Amino acid sequence: MAAHSQTNGPPATPTPSHPTQKSMTKAERRELQEKQRAAKLAQKQQPQNADSPNKQKAKPKSDAAPRRSTGAAEKQSSAADGSKSHSKDTPGTAMDNDAGTSISRSLRIFSHFVLTKHGHGVKGDIHPCIIRLALQFSEFRICGANARCIATLIAFKTVIQDYTTPPNNTLSRHLMTHLSPQISHLVSARPMSVTMGNAIRQLKLEISGSDIDMPEQDAKDLLCQKIDDYIRDRIIIADEVIQDLACKKIKDGDVILTYARSSIVEKVLLSAYKQGKRFSVIVVDSRPLLEGKALLQALTSTPPVSWTLSSASLLPPPPPIPCTYALLPALPSLITEATTVILGAHSLHSNGAVFSRAGTALVAMMAKQHSVPVLVCCETYKFSETVMLDGFGKNELAPSHLFPAPAQAPNLETLNPLYDLTPPSSITAVVTEVGLIPPSSISSIPMALGRMNL
Amino acid sequence: MATPAPNPPTIRAVENLAWKLRRRQIVGSRATALETLLVLRQVISKSKFSNMEQLVTIIRGVGRRLVEAQPKEHSVGNTVRKVLHHIREEYHTATQGTAVTATTGFSISKFVLLGQPRKQTAPPKTENKGTLKENDPDDPDSFARGLKPVLMEAIQDVLDELETVYDNVSKNALNHIHSDEIILTLGMSKTVEHFLISAAHHRNYTVMVLETAPSYGGRDMAQALSAAGISTFLVPDSSLYGLMSRVNKVILGAHAILANGGMFAITGSLLAATAAHAHCTPVVVCAGQFKLTPLWNLYHEYGALDFGDPSQVLGFEEGSLVDKVDVVNPFYDYVQSNLIDAFITNDGDHPPSSIYRLIKETYDDEDNEL
Repeated sequence: MAAHSQTNGPPATPTPSHPTQKSMTKAERRELQEKQRAAKLAQKQQPQNADSPNKQKAKPKSDAAPRRSTGAAEKQSSAADGSKSHSKDTPGTAMDNDAGTSISRSLRIFSHFVLTKHGHGVKGDIHPCIIRLALQFSEFRICGANARCIATLIAFKTVIQDYTTPPNNTLSRHLMTHLSPQISHLVSARPMSVTMGNAIRQLKLEISGSDIDMPEQDAKDLLCQKIDDYIRDRIIIADEVIQDLACKKIKDGDVILTYARSSIVEKVLLSAYKQGKRFSVIVVDSRPLLEGKALLQALTSTPPVSWTLSSASLLPPPPPIPCTYALLPALPSLITEATTVILGAHSLHSNGAVFSRAGTALVAMMAKQHSVPVLVCCETYKFSETVMLDGFGKNELAPSHLFPAPAQAPNLETLNPLYDLTPPSSITAVVTEVGLIPPSSISSIPMALGRMNL
Repeated sequence: MATPAPNPPTIRAVENLAWKLRRRQIVGSRATALETLLVLRQVISKSKFSNMEQLVTIIRGVGRRLVEAQPKEHSVGNTVRKVLHHIREEYHTATQGTAVTATTGFSISKFVLLGQPRKQTAPPKTENKGTLKENDPDDPDSFARGLKPVLMEAIQDVLDELETVYDNVSKNALNHIHSDEIILTLGMSKTVEHFLISAAHHRNYTVMVLETAPSYGGRDMAQALSAAGISTFLVPDSSLYGLMSRVNKVILGAHAILANGGMFAITGSLLAATAAHAHCTPVVVCAGQFKLTPLWNLYHEYGALDFGDPSQVLGFEEGSLVDKVDVVNPFYDYVQSNLIDAFITNDGDHPPSSIYRLIKETYDDEDNEL
């Protein structure tokens, strides 16, 4: 194969060589590329040999660059083409020229994990409250799918109110282009969550459907009203319905195990406690975020209820919720004590998988092994139409400036993935505002809501 | 016959070790095994005995004392049992004059006789010494005098085995680790560290180390491995399930290997083994043979574990929570035998199903209860 292409050496006839290259498989082309790159390194002083790597690349873009004879320009264009044709290779292209292929392979595996750059400047005309929100996101002060979505929508309300339609434009068409750079600024601080994505999609729908003839202030007020309604219906009221449904599954004497901190699970536990049920809670926690401590604070600081009078006798105030706290490796010792496991979610996917905080999959797996039912509490607006097979597809790494690596050494890298995927086999039921559904029915949630509303 | 009284220096040495174990000044299977061996050497060299039973009773007494001091350090009892096994062997060799050699030829009768497990025999050190007489009324010390040099050599054997554990376990490293593999490990285990570093001399691969909260032994392991030139990733325990789909092999260390093929290991190992089982990834345990314990554990009992300092989990800086919350910090996990695929020991690789046979060969049945 190599000899065959080498005969197409003279740069004057690139076209006959291309059909042969397209007929090679991608793997063969890559091998060829590697060989050519090695050959190029070995014989840097002969620019004719260096010409061929550019032609070997199948992308038609490389047609523009093959005739340069300087080695530096070729390296640049080959690196650029390399990054376009093999996106996985982006950090690897520079490194493949070095000796360490093993180092580049490991980094290649994780290179698609989004590593956000912090402290970059503000590009374009961004509203100050969006700048503030982005800063809060990147510092992890606002953390959690629901919290981020609500904060984003409230910030958008301010942006909409401050917006004025430029002349010769309609609100329904121009507002969206005005909001786009704001959204990109938020995404650059932290990758967009599924909740934010769904909410923004709904907002775009409302904006494009707004009446052209309405006066501007009325249109803006209507949009803000719609945003409020969305928050109220899909999050606040949904949470209340979920609390009712989940509380029915909690009985006196239960031992409930939960992981890290989910806003909805916290609400469920507190409302069950207010209903008078006596149960205990095991909170399992893990680095890097150690969110379970915040849940402990919320559960143990329930305000003391005074003595109550009931049927002519004085009842003492109920005791606070007994809590146990442990780190994730201690889980197998505690799972035997638990009667139910209640977890939160970041998003639900149509194959029934739950994308949630890293470590949730381990909790669900151990619970399933010990036949402890696993309930995932999740609002329907977290549903995403995509299918996710493992936590490797889409994940986020905790930024190293907030969670510093405990040790620095050559050859040592620290990774802190924030999310992982729980397969549907480990989940018993999902509690949503449309009811308690098994994970296999998650894909029919849009039908249950009526297609319109998702 | 009554046991002769042990002399004061011996008692002191034993008590010293017992107190160190009780106060946990000596922690870790290999360290405790070495200390126990040194104390036993001292006991045997200084004790007076005129027949075999007395010697066995003395050693058993010492063993019982040490095991009581720290029942969770199983390698103490294992070392005592191993020494007793070697002593009995030497005694049989010396008195009967014929060595118990392994049969080399194959015949049906020998095959039937071989139904008894093969005893681990050390090459005989004494020639035909049928002259050893017990309970000699004229010369009560003749028995001890004749046997002691041989016993010292036997103990030296055990000591050598303990000291070369790391090298012997790493001998087969190249068979288990291949190029460009991603290996997962956790906690700090010197055996696993030597195993991985010896393979790194010939192969290029990546290691992912779990931090193993709250002892954070994983950090030391990651430092050691990266200093040896292996490309290492340090990840928190929560990312275990997410990364497991890319891991080729899980290599763990053990605290003690139990007779049913299960093991006690640092907490976090059960999670790793279960996640690997869910992904059909092989789990391999590197351990020295001194960790083999004639104990059975069919259920994961709370009491079988050891507990660490709860302030590592929730410290006093969370002052408001400390008195309202129970904190649990188990130190060891019990990993069932069906989750482990192979034990790599200094004496070869064994599946968990043949551990009971190894124990029968290494120790004597009457020593299972010291």
